[in-house]
Amino acid sequence: MDDGSRLVVGVDIGNSTTEACVAAVDAAGRVQRLGSALTRTTGVKGTPDNTDGAVTAVRRALEGARRDPAGLDLVLLNEATPVISGLAMETITETIITESTMIGHNPSTPGGGGLGAGTTVPIDDLVGDAPVPGGPSIVVVPRGWDFDRVAAVLNDAVGRGLELVAAVLAHDDAVLVANRLTGEPAGGAIPIVDEVGAVERVPLGMAAAVEVAAPGRTIRTLSDSYGLASVFGLDPDQTRQVAPVARALTGNRSAVVVRTPSGDVSDRRVPVGELVLTGAGKTLRVDVDAGAEAIMDLLGRVQPLEDATGEPGTHVGGMLAQVRDTMTDVTGQPAAEIRIRDVLAIDTFVPREVRGGLAGEVALENAVALAAMVRTSRSRMQVVADRVAGALHCSARIGGVEGEMAVRGALTTPGTDRPIAVLDMGGGSTDAALLTADGACTAVHVAGAGELVTKLIDSELALDDRDTAEQVKWYPLAKVESFFHVRHEDGTVQFFTEPLPAHVFARVVVMTPDGPVPVPTRHPVDHVRRVRREAKRRVFVVNALRALRQVAPGGSLRMLEFVVLLGGSALDFEIPEMIADALAGHGIVCGTGNVHGTEGPRNAVASGLVDAWATEPAGEQAGELAS
Amino acid sequence: MTSTLPSSGAAAGPRTSKRTEMLESRPVNLDGFVEEWPEKGLVAMESDFDPAPSIRVENGVIVELDGRPRAEFDFMDTFIADHAIDVDVAERANAVPSDEIARMLVNPTVGRGEVLDLTRGLTPAKLLDVVKLMNVVEIMMAMQKMRARRMPANQAHSTSARDNPIQVAADAAEGALRGFAELETTLGVLRYAPLVAIGLQIGAQAGRGGVITQCALEEATELDLGMRGITGYAETISVYGTESVFVDGDDTPWSKAFLASAYASRGIKMRFTSGTGSEVQMGNAEGRSMLYLEIRCILMAKGAGVQGLQNGSISCIGVPGAVPGGIRAVAAENLVCNMLDLECAAGNDQSFSHSAMRRTSRLMPQMLPGQDLVCSGFSAVPNSDNMFAGSNLDVEDYDDWNTVQRDLQVDGGLRHVRSEEILAVRNRAARALQAVFAELDLPRITDDEVEAATYADSSADYPLREVLEDLKGAQSVMDRGVTGLDLVKILERTGFSDIAENYLQVLRQRVSGDLLQTSAILDADFVPQAAINDANDYAGPGTGYRLTGERWAELKRLRHVTSAENPEEEVS
Amino acid sequence: MTGPTTASLREVGPAARGTRPDEVVIAVSPAFADFFTRTIVDVPHAEVLRQVMAGVEEQGVTSRLIRVWDTADLAAIAHTGAKLSGSGICVGLLSRGTTMIHQKDLARLSNLELFPQSPLLDAAVFRGIGANAAQYAKGESPEPVPTRNDQMARPRWQAKAALLHLKEFDRIRAGVKPVEVVLESAPSLAG
Repeated sequence: MDDGSRLVVGVDIGNSTTEACVAAVDAAGRVQRLGSALTRTTGVKGTPDNTDGAVTAVRRALEGARRDPAGLDLVLLNEATPVISGLAMETITETIITESTMIGHNPSTPGGGGLGAGTTVPIDDLVGDAPVPGGPSIVVVPRGWDFDRVAAVLNDAVGRGLELVAAVLAHDDAVLVANRLTGEPAGGAIPIVDEVGAVERVPLGMAAAVEVAAPGRTIRTLSDSYGLASVFGLDPDQTRQVAPVARALTGNRSAVVVRTPSGDVSDRRVPVGELVLTGAGKTLRVDVDAGAEAIMDLLGRVQPLEDATGEPGTHVGGMLAQVRDTMTDVTGQPAAEIRIRDVLAIDTFVPREVRGGLAGEVALENAVALAAMVRTSRSRMQVVADRVAGALHCSARIGGVEGEMAVRGALTTPGTDRPIAVLDMGGGSTDAALLTADGACTAVHVAGAGELVTKLIDSELALDDRDTAEQVKWYPLAKVESFFHVRHEDGTVQFFTEPLPAHVFARVVVMTPDGPVPVPTRHPVDHVRRVRREAKRRVFVVNALRALRQVAPGGSLRMLEFVVLLGGSALDFEIPEMIADALAGHGIVCGTGNVHGTEGPRNAVASGLVDAWATEPAGEQAGELAS
Repeated sequence: MTSTLPSSGAAAGPRTSKRTEMLESRPVNLDGFVEEWPEKGLVAMESDFDPAPSIRVENGVIVELDGRPRAEFDFMDTFIADHAIDVDVAERANAVPSDEIARMLVNPTVGRGEVLDLTRGLTPAKLLDVVKLMNVVEIMMAMQKMRARRMPANQAHSTSARDNPIQVAADAAEGALRGFAELETTLGVLRYAPLVAIGLQIGAQAGRGGVITQCALEEATELDLGMRGITGYAETISVYGTESVFVDGDDTPWSKAFLASAYASRGIKMRFTSGTGSEVQMGNAEGRSMLYLEIRCILMAKGAGVQGLQNGSISCIGVPGAVPGGIRAVAAENLVCNMLDLECAAGNDQSFSHSAMRRTSRLMPQMLPGQDLVCSGFSAVPNSDNMFAGSNLDVEDYDDWNTVQRDLQVDGGLRHVRSEEILAVRNRAARALQAVFAELDLPRITDDEVEAATYADSSADYPLREVLEDLKGAQSVMDRGVTGLDLVKILERTGFSDIAENYLQVLRQRVSGDLLQTSAILDADFVPQAAINDANDYAGPGTGYRLTGERWAELKRLRHVTSAENPEEEVS
Repeated sequence: MTGPTTASLREVGPAARGTRPDEVVIAVSPAFADFFTRTIVDVPHAEVLRQVMAGVEEQGVTSRLIRVWDTADLAAIAHTGAKLSGSGICVGLLSRGTTMIHQKDLARLSNLELFPQSPLLDAAVFRGIGANAAQYAKGESPEPVPTRNDQMARPRWQAKAALLHLKEFDRIRAGVKPVEVVLESAPSLAG
């Protein structure tokens, strides 16, 4: 440039985005920042594939700053090492009903109410003029029976002396049938359970009981061990046996229990294999079905972790092998040299259909989600630098290590000072770096970040749709209460002058910038919100503390003073405050980064690279540019 | 429901023969047929309830049209009288007996221009009166002479059941290579439109430079994409034959004409869309026959100043298809479009029949005489991927179509292309789109997707995309104001200079405005071929467009043809 | 099929605006259960009403029947019904079977759920439509009733649908206000 200043671009290649910051640096080392740009990272961070993204980011930054690419002097890249993360989930419990002892589900509209105990009778036995069975009867109605005909047959049978105490229906007809019963007890006030998909497997001629609670209530008798004992006249041993049935029915609005000779409900743990953790001179093993707490306890005992493996044939084993293989592919290092350096285990639950259930009953099964991370020291950034130089016809070099650069960039946030720690919360890993008062810098990566949050939301809400889960993660919720107003998750109401689109009517929605988007769930707003916040807390808050402890002097958070949040997740609408809350007790100032007072949590590394170069002695700078 | 045959009587009914049972099970009996009901307009073209032709001009203004005095005009009458009918020739033209005009239409010694001199002054009822005299062969004879462009062409649909832009690009490239002059797409999820329209454009230019593309959407977005140069023409601007249907859609002939002028202001080719059966389908036929109302639509298009019309019943084909003489009426509506010197994109574009024989016979009146665009949507994807609700022809019919062209020595606008050439353009289209997506920071197109696009048949053969990310990307394309020129620059920068050059040539037409000429399409040298420089000069045997020379040699090729030189080999 | 096969709708007076928040209005077209007795695919109108009403009842909601005389436009029929409905929810029905769930605050040309392909609507779909309408009335958010799509419905049914529509138009009584009707079914033959 004519005025002797140099046109320099700092480029930060991250896991998912590549950022570029263009600046003019004059002879005195003064930095004038001209603009920045953001693009998707191409390939795995720290590999030659990054070149395309880096070149695009530089070009775009120059375009934005209206600078001729021909005038570019130097591109500065961060020293980035490949970090690859993986995710897996193992369901570790399973509810099994043997021999059709019970039906415990929540049809949206059971009929009638109360408790009825008697013997199960097929409705086909009631058709015609044959004598009706004696004693209290529970009528079982298979598929293909129309509700009008069911009511007619039942009314006729009652007229012929049937003591009808309850009914179990295959179709969603319970209210319809209840409304059409004319016999005693008056008004058909007997319990009717419907939508029992596998009604043909209900044992016939057996003692059984049916209970339906009033709307908004849950059953009281069949979900109580002594209630079951009273209904069926059980002795203490038998009562002990049916206790799991009572537990399984807790919280339902309707239930059917059939007393069969060997029927049972069991809640069994599913063996899903071992996790083997090596570190601190020890090799320890833990069963994954022991749960997250046991796994994380063990992890604490082998810190620093040197490697982790899982049992082949399990999800966790497969995931760990996959992460290792990917790193091998990316770096060319032999698999044997690749080490899993961190894992994060989280207890979660998965709604699953009960095995042996008759009505598609769903139980919340326990599960363990596991994130793992592998990194390598073998960076190939020099190759990227050479290629960038070739593509842009300028000099390019590695300008600094990303952790150090991030801290340097974060320090430009108004109101910060050393010692300062940064937390960069990305998609696959959470990274922390610390700059002490005397200038020493340390950095760590821990497993688990945004992707894991999405997965937890997806499975706990049974969405089975990653896109929707992602939206639930990013945006606040609301309930569309009419075409002209929504109630936000914080209880406030917002009115609209134009009617909302028809497809969101009466739905729980996420309030995206493009308008409300429905969440396909029957859960109320509160439940979805709780799942979302818990997922974020279990991943980001836990990881923030884990990562900061690893960089904090002596592992003590009290030794930290300023913590600055960077990266995409720092833009989340609630994560920064959740972390700030968690750190407040340790006397830490925590907030979202605002690089150079203008950039927000973005561009810390890229501008840090430029700043670092500008402070280098002029001779070294010149040497770089001449080479 | 459509898999069950019409009930042939209960088991207890009269005994039927094996022959009857066999016939009952034929696919044609899955089609629906109804009796005519002329009082309500459920009649193809011969109705006592259509008005008799009449016209009266006073001081250069039409004061009576088809028996209706000006004071009783509805807005369609007003628009047609003031803008569509040439007042200078109107009284003289309408005075010529209808049979004389009909004979001029089929008489090869009467030139096209001579006929146009009369037809541009005819009233709707008079036009109907003329074509009513003609049988289907005479209609085809007239079409051969009256269509505007000498060389026939064809148009395809390129859509995806998953709105997958890579599929649309690859199938567009193949379609362009096979010979389609125009390609159109539409969406399941409308917000996908920018990405799919980009895919279509890049695919088309990768297949054969100069193919023009459009994306059927609600009118505002469609216009926006056109103005940005992401699409190259527009077609789905619907017009109707009665005032009540217009009013139900909150529209008037003037609002449609205004929209047409918006396209013209940017040099973008456009045509209207109409078709027999739409008014009666909506219950607003006002007691007129389907063809009478369609003729009013054709005149409306003429009056609005657009260069052409897509007609041939289009999405209402099930209605004329079910009444007697309905497919003759559909051919007649194409002919009237030709008689008014409009480009005709001639239908054959919607699922029409369960019967392969009926599907074929339905397209003969356009394919044999040739049309400006024989199909206004041959499905260049399997019908399961066709987001226009299925076409009369789809990819399964490619080889049949090529064989019919060869059998009858007729140019239907397509040709057989060898598999390796197809694979090459499909691959290149997908790779170009991959590069463009990367440069625009749109969700990545993986190498696996490019591979899938190269060898795929339907959307099921592609890896699933992250729809939400794609939709965000699509929105950002709109928000950032990405234009066709931006795409050209990216293609150039990423090593697809040939596609960039093709695309730029298409964009240049917007400046010259040459695609506003009637029936204009671009040939492989980017020369607009339209009714002014490739005018139809048919004047009997041995004249007009003839399938000869290089083009005929090209159409002789099929997938399997036994070599004459060495019968142990095949040539293709 | 169980239940009555013919239905007649007896007028009981002008249709009034409902006050109960737990009612769904079912609004039928001029020729429904009148000139016509079956849908385009021969589902008896009596069965259509029985299933829609059962779907509503099973949800603990009540239904009220009205007939709209002055239009055969489904959106207009359903919107008219919605404005008379205590919950603001209405199921609109054309004779050929085409059905729409509407809400009073929506624009006329909009809707909550539309079932445009009348040949594909059977008893189970009508039951689901009633159930969904009732759930909207309760402020719940049901999954839309699944429907099928069939490209070949056009060649088979498009013209018959147009014919039925014309017949329906013929029964319009211009200027006549909507009336409340009650279902009077012939005795069931099956069962």
